[in-house]
Amino acid sequence: MLCINAKQLSKSYGSSTLAVNNLDLSIESGQIFGFLGPNGAGKSTTIKLLTTLIQPSSGSLEIFGLDASKYPLQIRSKIGVVLQQPSYEPTLSVEKSLDKYGMMWNIPSNIRKKRVEQLLIDFELIQIRKKRNEDLSIGQRRRVQVAREFMHDMDLLFLDEPTVGLDPASRRKLFDFLKSKVKAGLTIFYTTHALPDVEYLCDNVAMINNGRILIIDTPESLKQTYGNREKIIKIRIAKTTNDLKKLLEKIPNCVIDPRLNTIMIKSNVSENILSDTLHILNQQNITIDDLSITPTNLEETFLKIISEQNASNY
Amino acid sequence: MHPIIRLINRNLTISLHPGFLIWQIIFPLIYIFVAGFAYTSLINDVPFGNKNLNYPAFLTTGMIGFNIMNSTLVSGIIIWNDRRHGMFEQIMSGPFTRAHYIISNICTIGIIGIVSAFLIVLIGYPVFADSVEFQIYTIPLIIFASVIGSILFGSIASIISTRLKSSEGFNVILNTVFLFFAFVSTAFYPASGTPEPLFTAFYLNPLTYLVDVIRAGMFGVITEFVLVEMFLLISLAFSLFFIATKLLTRLDF
Repeated sequence: MLCINAKQLSKSYGSSTLAVNNLDLSIESGQIFGFLGPNGAGKSTTIKLLTTLIQPSSGSLEIFGLDASKYPLQIRSKIGVVLQQPSYEPTLSVEKSLDKYGMMWNIPSNIRKKRVEQLLIDFELIQIRKKRNEDLSIGQRRRVQVAREFMHDMDLLFLDEPTVGLDPASRRKLFDFLKSKVKAGLTIFYTTHALPDVEYLCDNVAMINNGRILIIDTPESLKQTYGNREKIIKIRIAKTTNDLKKLLEKIPNCVIDPRLNTIMIKSNVSENILSDTLHILNQQNITIDDLSITPTNLEETFLKIISEQNASNY
Repeated sequence: MHPIIRLINRNLTISLHPGFLIWQIIFPLIYIFVAGFAYTSLINDVPFGNKNLNYPAFLTTGMIGFNIMNSTLVSGIIIWNDRRHGMFEQIMSGPFTRAHYIISNICTIGIIGIVSAFLIVLIGYPVFADSVEFQIYTIPLIIFASVIGSILFGSIASIISTRLKSSEGFNVILNTVFLFFAFVSTAFYPASGTPEPLFTAFYLNPLTYLVDVIRAGMFGVITEFVLVEMFLLISLAFSLFFIATKLLTRLDF
């Protein structure tokens, strides 16, 4: 079932700023859909459009088959939203703010109590349950903000950069929690800058820049298509010599960092290049301390797609 | 439960913290029982309609209006805090409309206004018991004053909170406006005998009308001028409410 169906959706501010430009998006239920883009690409505006917070300048939008221009309230009662900016009631304690948020969503008191206790455990908030929101750290506040959204039932959840301020352990715990919710039928629209998060979490990903969607695909397929199977070879040697640059001049895309004593090579034919490089180093009796070959990650794919689009614009 | 009731519940929870309750109860108590009796040595009787009131009785009834006005600061503070801490956007992304939000704010300040008014009536009763003349319209008039006063001053606070962006500006403007309302009014002293242009300024202030209406209800002195004051209060309250609603509706995300 399609949960989001946007056609030619645009949003402009004034006559000069086109924040979202003819966005076409069809998202099936039961997945985590990643939404990537650099700062100012139009991610947050897209979320505000999809959550009916703002009206589009043109185009059409259906959420769960409901026309967003006609039924915004019905749509909003089926979705959850964790916006990019922090939102909290400063004077309320953590548990009170969870409970009050559930009350605002008309969740019966007995169910609220159970959910509060469960979320305090799931988001590791037990220790700070009595603390007021204004006394929390940024990461703790973010955890409360995300946890709070699970006080109510929903079919679709929008998460706008939810991991900002979270430590690695909390991020991983959140991801596993989100995955468990998706298994139970939830659909998640996930916006982030952190590409490793998308690789770990998302089933499909869209990349947006200058208000336009550049591509929609699976993270793996994107890497395959745009990564060209390029790999990064990293060799750490015992000592960099002055003539090393000259020795490796025939190796393409080779960068030497004398401070870190490392040689970094990007190549589509990594096996051959590695063999040639090792041969040269061996001939010169240069000791190799460490060697690694890593496939292209989504971050590089992302940068490549964005730079290609920027180049085509100029 | 209706969305407006849920939002009122939430508004009351976030507003009724100890600091606010102290502000709402301790301050009027000090005014009534310290300033009221201390000033008796300077002010003997205060003329009001065809009556002469002792100063503590005059001040206590003025404090009812003053407290209603103070309680409406809550409205501005709720909107301001919601905007500042991202809750306005969060609420609007939930199962609520802007109309729900605006009405819930007005109802919240209405409730706080009525409770504040009756709290001062209860606390101050021993002070004005001798002068009070309970009529059939006394209670309805106090309720009218609480509701209209809440809408009026709540709308002013809401307008300020929607127009300003810095918290320093918000606090300075709100305190300055409300300081003018409090002290350039008949809440603390009578207008008669004050020099021009202060006398005129008193009657450019809606709090003067509000406390006049409350006193009229408490002391059984309904004059034509009080009726005019009631009409002006209603007109002003609904005009300001209309402007506040328009501004809130236009608030962008």
